[in-house]
Amino acid sequence: MVIEEKTEEKNNNNDRCDDHDIKKVSPLLFLPLTNIVVIQPSKLPLRILLLFTMSNRVCHFKLVLLGDTAVGKSCLVVRFVRDEFFEFQEPTIGAAFLTQTVALDDATVKFEIWDTAGQERYRSLAPMYYRGAAAAIIVYDITNPDSFAGAKSWVKELQRRGDTNVVIALAGNKADLESRRKVDFQEANAYAEENGILHMETSAKNSNNVRALFVEIAKSLPKATQQPEREAFPIVMQKEETRNCC
Amino acid sequence: MTANQQIAANQYPAVQNTMPIPQQHHPPSSPRPAADAYSPNTPGGGTSNRVVRAKTPNSPSKNNSAGIIVASRAADEETEDGRIRNREASAKIRDAWIYKQIRSRQDEFTQYKQGRVFVGTWNVNAKGKEESLSSWLCADWHQHGPPDIVVVGFQEIVDLNAVNVAVENKSATRSQFWVEKIRSTLNSRQNTLGDPTRTYTELAVKFLVGLLVCVFVKAPHKPRVKYVHSDSVGVGVMGMMGNKGGVTIRLQFYDSTLCFICAHLAAHRENVAGRNADFANVYTKISFEIGHEAVQEVIKLGSMSQWAMGTSSVGVPDHDLVFWFGDLNYRVDESIPTERVMELSKAGMLEELIEHDQLNIERAAGRVFRDFEEGPLGFKPTYKYQPGTDLYEERPDKKLRAPAWCDRILWLAQEPGHVAQLNYTRSELNVSDHKPVMSTFLVTIKDVILAKREGVYRDVMKMLDTYENNSLPLVSLDRINLDFGEVRYDQRVTLPIVITNTGQVVAQFRLVPKIDEVELCKSWITVAPTYGMLIPGEQTEIEMTITIDNATAHRLNTSQEVLDDVIILRLENGRDYYISVTGKYARSCFGMSVDELVLYTDPIREVPLDPILRAKKYDLNSKAAMCVPKELWRIIDAIYERGLDERDLFTTTGDPDEVYQIRECLDTGASFEKFSVHSFAEVLTSFLSNLSSPIIPITLVPTLDIDAQNIQMFTRKFLEDMLPVPYNVFIYIISFFREVLLHEQMNRLSPPKVARFADGVTDASFIFAIFLTILCAFKSFRILCNCLILSQTGNVDDSVRAGSSSRGNMQQLMLHFLQTNSI
Repeated sequence: MVIEEKTEEKNNNNDRCDDHDIKKVSPLLFLPLTNIVVIQPSKLPLRILLLFTMSNRVCHFKLVLLGDTAVGKSCLVVRFVRDEFFEFQEPTIGAAFLTQTVALDDATVKFEIWDTAGQERYRSLAPMYYRGAAAAIIVYDITNPDSFAGAKSWVKELQRRGDTNVVIALAGNKADLESRRKVDFQEANAYAEENGILHMETSAKNSNNVRALFVEIAKSLPKATQQPEREAFPIVMQKEETRNCC
Repeated sequence: MTANQQIAANQYPAVQNTMPIPQQHHPPSSPRPAADAYSPNTPGGGTSNRVVRAKTPNSPSKNNSAGIIVASRAADEETEDGRIRNREASAKIRDAWIYKQIRSRQDEFTQYKQGRVFVGTWNVNAKGKEESLSSWLCADWHQHGPPDIVVVGFQEIVDLNAVNVAVENKSATRSQFWVEKIRSTLNSRQNTLGDPTRTYTELAVKFLVGLLVCVFVKAPHKPRVKYVHSDSVGVGVMGMMGNKGGVTIRLQFYDSTLCFICAHLAAHRENVAGRNADFANVYTKISFEIGHEAVQEVIKLGSMSQWAMGTSSVGVPDHDLVFWFGDLNYRVDESIPTERVMELSKAGMLEELIEHDQLNIERAAGRVFRDFEEGPLGFKPTYKYQPGTDLYEERPDKKLRAPAWCDRILWLAQEPGHVAQLNYTRSELNVSDHKPVMSTFLVTIKDVILAKREGVYRDVMKMLDTYENNSLPLVSLDRINLDFGEVRYDQRVTLPIVITNTGQVVAQFRLVPKIDEVELCKSWITVAPTYGMLIPGEQTEIEMTITIDNATAHRLNTSQEVLDDVIILRLENGRDYYISVTGKYARSCFGMSVDELVLYTDPIREVPLDPILRAKKYDLNSKAAMCVPKELWRIIDAIYERGLDERDLFTTTGDPDEVYQIRECLDTGASFEKFSVHSFAEVLTSFLSNLSSPIIPITLVPTLDIDAQNIQMFTRKFLEDMLPVPYNVFIYIISFFREVLLHEQMNRLSPPKVARFADGVTDASFIFAIFLTILCAFKSFRILCNCLILSQTGNVDDSVRAGSSSRGNMQQLMLHFLQTNSI
């Protein structure tokens, strides 16, 4: 009883294989059969295996975390990178640099993460880090409406002064503190939609959505254009013609 | 048959072991679910997160990448610093490591299922008509049930004559015949009982001259079969014709990759080397162009160790399970005479024959089928029979041949124990001069749980990231907030920061300017050193010094500046640290203007720097609270008190400590202690010379030559043009010096001395002091300019020129004021 007839696919398959056979008839293979040295199969294959970027491409992207003080930027990064959480995370004085890889189906994205200082005092230094960033996570604290207002101003600043193609994600952190919520999810979501940016509520404490956030960003990034590696050496400026000083 | 059962019994217990992942949604197709076979060698669970530093499986690695010649398409590049790198190759090598890690942990994300594979091979000698194949294909169904995969290979489906070898028309017809025959046998009403889930679906057929291989799979498994590809290799006449060679089909079954090769190797008893060579040729030449997607998937599933192939084709060793069968043509060694072989074969006394079986000998010597396995031969030699009978060919008109096990089935498994042979036997079908051979295998099939695999991949990447993050430079600063506390005018305060390299790599640090800025920090801070390098554990100090000079004091007083700055310390290739520098300026009357000083009746220290607070406390619109700054009055009063008769008054240096204390008293309103008059004199000159705006603006410096005739006019104009507060101060000072000059005898000053405006006058003489007093001048004209006019509003060059040409004029003018009562 014949249950399934040959599918077309299979037929094609066979056709293709037959073609293959024909191709194999190359004069190079007309070797005498006798006196062939016995080759150990385990030493095989002897073909030269070419390497090229076939397997997971790794794309490097600079990502910056912005947001008001004590909203949990560093906690998010620490959760993401080391899967740890500290209730009393020291405030970041400076800009911490870490890398972390996210594997997608079609590519591997390696984030070069800059975790910035949130204190107002250092606000003017933020452009040093978001300049040239491919992605930015703007963090606010769902229990603190001021931090949401702050996040909005960060979004504005980034839209105005950041790279034009920067992928912005708005993260409402401390989502575990539902009872103390002061920022409505819908409101934030509507704001994000209006501005065409990603939005997610996260909890660095219970790690909810932390990874998902980075994955979403990774997915949104254009994988085709790989970012050039950071210049290890400053580009030497072309010498200007010396001007007469008199 | 008992022998076969023994084989099964021998292999079975050995593989009865743990099954870390219980079988779930795919019920085992085996009717013996308890026999969860797989290897004791398989790394057990519970040791997750470990790094595999060496190849763990103790079986030989079938597709060891050691032999692979790794070539990168991209050439090595040399970086600016002369290093040679190949990013592509490096990424590849990294990938390889990752895949190796994942593969070594595949138990964590793989569900192992048991399936049965039937493999049959028959050299049909161009025969075959209506006889039933079920005694060959379905022989053990009563025992094990229908297998999940049925693979059948044929040799000599056509006569291997020159025409058939060259033109494959007949081969196509015959292969169709055999495939149909297999299909109808498998799917006979008796077997399927009308249940469509018991039917078999043909996956692929591949033939080459006399060779044919076809794969059938049970219908329910069909959706889990992917990437079915076939290939054929001719190694016969001229090394390429299809009279000898192999046909092969590969596929992905669930997440295991399977490869079936049906081969017909070189004939003749003595031609062992030819067979070995044929095998090697077929093995090497087989290649499946499965496409990048398939390769990618196979790699991801941890099935392929040849990660680095970089092509979209795979070869025999790239498969989890390989079955190699066919008429391999190995005979019994010639050391046993043909007649004896015949005798022993007929008698079924196989041991001696097995010992002298060429394939066994060659395999043992490692000359062929390396790493392949074969079950014990428990059946009589399968060649050469008298067609249509069960008798070995002994007819007198035929050449006497020694019976042999030409027809064999071997396998190769990446994971040891993933294949267990349930039986290995032959069928008694007699149309051909060969007997068909068959074997059923219990195989372990991988079914990858993608979510879990992702988890493992994430773990592996995380581990790499951790190393990478740990190799970033790291330092610790003993403090990042430098609070200098109250900082006074003309004071230098230094605070050190200790930097320790707490990382694992050499750390280079340097201070960098803030965005869009040029200087590393504000002008009142000096840092040394601004860069450095530390080996792990090494420490160094950075010194930060605050100095409040006149210009800074002025900006602080006018709220153009606060003692607050952030310095960025950058680690090369690492993070940034911010160092906060703060201080509170303890206000001083020094560096202020007389116009402002006359506003405040309180000591200057009590006057808030913040303009809003200040406005609350004082009426800043009123002209002045006092005629002259109280500080000036206090200094002059103190000099009076201590006596103008002091010898060398204004030409003697004061005590620095006293000078500092006098300044503090002026700023805080505290009363003076017993300080020397010389210190006061120095404070006076310093006070006047450091005023933020000069008492005499540059505009008042006479530009025309002064002589006896016009001096009156100049002095009148000079005084008329002065603003009220500076006027008061000027009059006050001139009066004071007149008073001083009355004591000329004692203090040895003279009007010319006082008024002589010699450039480059040495020692802080009285002349110099007066010069500063009256003109807010100095030793050099550059300072003169700064004093006379506010540098930010005036043009320095102009004022220098003005000052230069009118030096003499001013001298005369001041002398006049001192000597006459013209005011």
